Amino acid sequence: MNSQTTKTLSLIVGAILIATLPFWAGDQYQLHLAALIAVYWILIAGLNLVVGFTGQLSIGHVGLLSIGSYTFAILAGKMGVDPTLSVFVSGLLGGLCGLALGLPSLRLPGFYFAMATMAFSMIVNEIVLAQVDLTGGGIGLPGPMFPKPFESPIGFYYLVTAIALFVTWLTWNIARRMWGRAFISIRDNPVAAQAVGVPVFKAKLLAFVFSGITAGVSGAVFASLQSYITPDTFVFELSMFFFVCIIIGGRGSIIGPFFGTVVLTALPELVSPLAKLGNFFYGLLLLVVVLVVPEGIGRMFEIISERLRPRTVHREPITPDLNRLAKALKVRE
Amino acid sequence: MLTVIVTGLAIGMLYASIALVYNVMFSTSKVLSVTTGHLSMVGGVFGAYIISVLQMHWLWGLLGAVLAGAAFGWLTDVLAIRRVLARSDEHLWLLSTLALATMVQQAVGLWWGTEPKPFPRLITQEFGAGLMDQKFWLPIGMAIVMAIGLEFFYRKTMYGKVFIAMSEDAFAARARGVSTDKIRLLSYVLSGALGGLAGFAAGQLTFAFFALGHTLTLLGFIALAVGGLGSNIGALIGGAALGLLNSFASYYFGGEYQQTIAVGLLMVVLLIKPEGLLGAKNVRPV
Amino acid sequence: MSAMQSELQAINVSKQFGGLSALDQVSLSLRPGEVHGLIGPNGSGKTTLLNLLSGYYQPTSGAIKLGDEDLSLASVQRRAAVGVARTFQKPRLLPMLSVLENATLGAWSHSESGFVASAVSLPSVAREDKKFLEQTTELLHGVGLGHVIHRRANLLDHAEQRFLEIARGLAMRPSFILLDEPAGGLTTQEIEHLSQVIHTLRSSGIGVLLVEHHTDFVFRISDRVTTLNVGKMIKHGASDEVRTDPEVIRVYLGA
Repeated sequence: MNSQTTKTLSLIVGAILIATLPFWAGDQYQLHLAALIAVYWILIAGLNLVVGFTGQLSIGHVGLLSIGSYTFAILAGKMGVDPTLSVFVSGLLGGLCGLALGLPSLRLPGFYFAMATMAFSMIVNEIVLAQVDLTGGGIGLPGPMFPKPFESPIGFYYLVTAIALFVTWLTWNIARRMWGRAFISIRDNPVAAQAVGVPVFKAKLLAFVFSGITAGVSGAVFASLQSYITPDTFVFELSMFFFVCIIIGGRGSIIGPFFGTVVLTALPELVSPLAKLGNFFYGLLLLVVVLVVPEGIGRMFEIISERLRPRTVHREPITPDLNRLAKALKVRE
Repeated sequence: MLTVIVTGLAIGMLYASIALVYNVMFSTSKVLSVTTGHLSMVGGVFGAYIISVLQMHWLWGLLGAVLAGAAFGWLTDVLAIRRVLARSDEHLWLLSTLALATMVQQAVGLWWGTEPKPFPRLITQEFGAGLMDQKFWLPIGMAIVMAIGLEFFYRKTMYGKVFIAMSEDAFAARARGVSTDKIRLLSYVLSGALGGLAGFAAGQLTFAFFALGHTLTLLGFIALAVGGLGSNIGALIGGAALGLLNSFASYYFGGEYQQTIAVGLLMVVLLIKPEGLLGAKNVRPV
Repeated sequence: MSAMQSELQAINVSKQFGGLSALDQVSLSLRPGEVHGLIGPNGSGKTTLLNLLSGYYQPTSGAIKLGDEDLSLASVQRRAAVGVARTFQKPRLLPMLSVLENATLGAWSHSESGFVASAVSLPSVAREDKKFLEQTTELLHGVGLGHVIHRRANLLDHAEQRFLEIARGLAMRPSFILLDEPAGGLTTQEIEHLSQVIHTLRSSGIGVLLVEHHTDFVFRISDRVTTLNVGKMIKHGASDEVRTDPEVIRVYLGA
């Protein structure tokens, strides 16, 4: 069975498992966990384009999540706007804030950019706390539910899973075509990116705004899932968590960070001593990955499988096929 | 009004000290470490622990803070920097120092608790001492001493000159026989000690609080960026500007928008003059 | 004048870095369908001139032009868009992507797929990508990398990396390609293959600028040669003339 068949088969199995999860998951708690994974993945899939593909180390996305959540809670909760519309507005606002943050800071060198995103999330927190009339300040706001049939746990699970699948599909389309290559060139060799004509800043900004939109949408459904949000929900460590999911899963891939998200969300819930360690654990994991397998654990599996099944690299000489070259060069439209 | 100025200067000088620490680490490694703010946090927490909990004389607290900072600095180089610099990927050190900083912050939180605890008086003084309160002039004095000390170090001592040589051209320094790994380790230990010292001095202002780490990393960085990477005078100016701005903003608008204003300042400066007020134009901050 | 007929020119360019003068009033013209060698000792300004032509530096004085268009201040990306490709002394590849993916990146400026269109995978996007991949596959076979098309770029040996960069440059469908010491580290056999490839580029109407240290190689395959020394031009003209010029021999070949 070749690798293409394996991949397709795994995808089908995975899809079936995801579609039928509410029926084989142990209890309400596990269903809630699955929905949480989907909600996080909506944000992380978008952030993946920023961190994993264009290589911009944003550690402030919890701020965008917060904006999405509060927008949704205020619109759908306080102001009685239709929840579906509110989700759209949350996404839009997330994108706009991504634009506002990205425009000045994406030009800055790496550390400066990271600090700017960190500062952004702190500012968002500060504003949320200060605008008590709007956001309830320290007390917070309830997270409204969706209309039938999505207000039940099973219905909500299918809602967020559908959104998550859609976002995954979008990012997968980007990743496997020209834009994906362009993003990776920005990450791995910006000089080469320029040389082929990639508009580096514009591309970084596009990825960033996209990640803002997904963060906004994620925030909206996150508020609904949590059923109550306060400023304490949106701590810097959550940004770290998103970031670590991507790095651990491996940059430049979609499935890697997805598994990263699944494992890192589920692990502390299932292994309770880890829950106590909380963010220390994420820091430790990040350090280990950076030191040992910086390309992510996905890559580690590849390395292991290459060791087990060594493919001897056949060195052949370079023999140009000049006729073919001449023909290829003639194709100019 | 005078209180506002003095408060602003005091906290500003803590930020300035952290900016100085950034400069020391950057000079030998070209790395801006996320752990920089945490060095001060550790200094403050350990100092408070030794004096308040272990009931020892504040000189022991000072020593403890310095040693804790130095040890943390050593750990930063050994764990997060050394192996990572060897690899070609430019930004791995950002991830490794971020990871280490988070680990240390969380570990301190688990041990010390998540509530800010008061930092003890070092010299007996009334709490209503007003402008002469040691919580103000301790950090101010400390920053000035550090800045002068570093100047002396760079100009008059062998090691200081080696630091400067490394910061200008590490490759050439290595070619001249300088053990860049050892010097870098030394610079991290030194900066750790300084960071711990700064946190200890400012403890009465900030309280001993585990969550200070990331905040101080950010605010110290803002002071650094405004003043200009690589400039110690710039660090003092940047810190003072940031502290005063925070203080005045608190006074006039209430303390709710401190971060917003601090970052506003940063963004304005960076947009007009990306290398900071006194920064060298060609310093490549990564 | 169509782009195919235009020359890529450096007109009296000088480049100063602070107090250091790297280039002093140098002119060079690159014609379509010619191989133009650029030689000179280390520090003569070859790389500076190359960077000026490709847009990584701006001239302190003088101009860079493509036909009638003044490119002096044009961005690197703009130059890519008007058909100026280049390779680098140390190949700049994307280590985690395959040879095919690396080379196909070169087709970027010909892509009409917007971000949103790509995200929703419009049929036009899929068609375009398929076309680019096919075309690049042909180019890769053409330069001799057909046997490593799916190999990850960080597993390539030095010569393969160099040829890959050339393939990526060709994927840009350039009018001009500037090669920065492409023969560095190649075996005699590989240099021979490189010559053949360059010859084919020339026949298809691409203007090739060849910055090189291997002077035999340069004189053998170039139509015209320009020589630099300490930022100034010594001699330029037909390859044979330059090769036998006494001052060139003294400064460069005798040194």
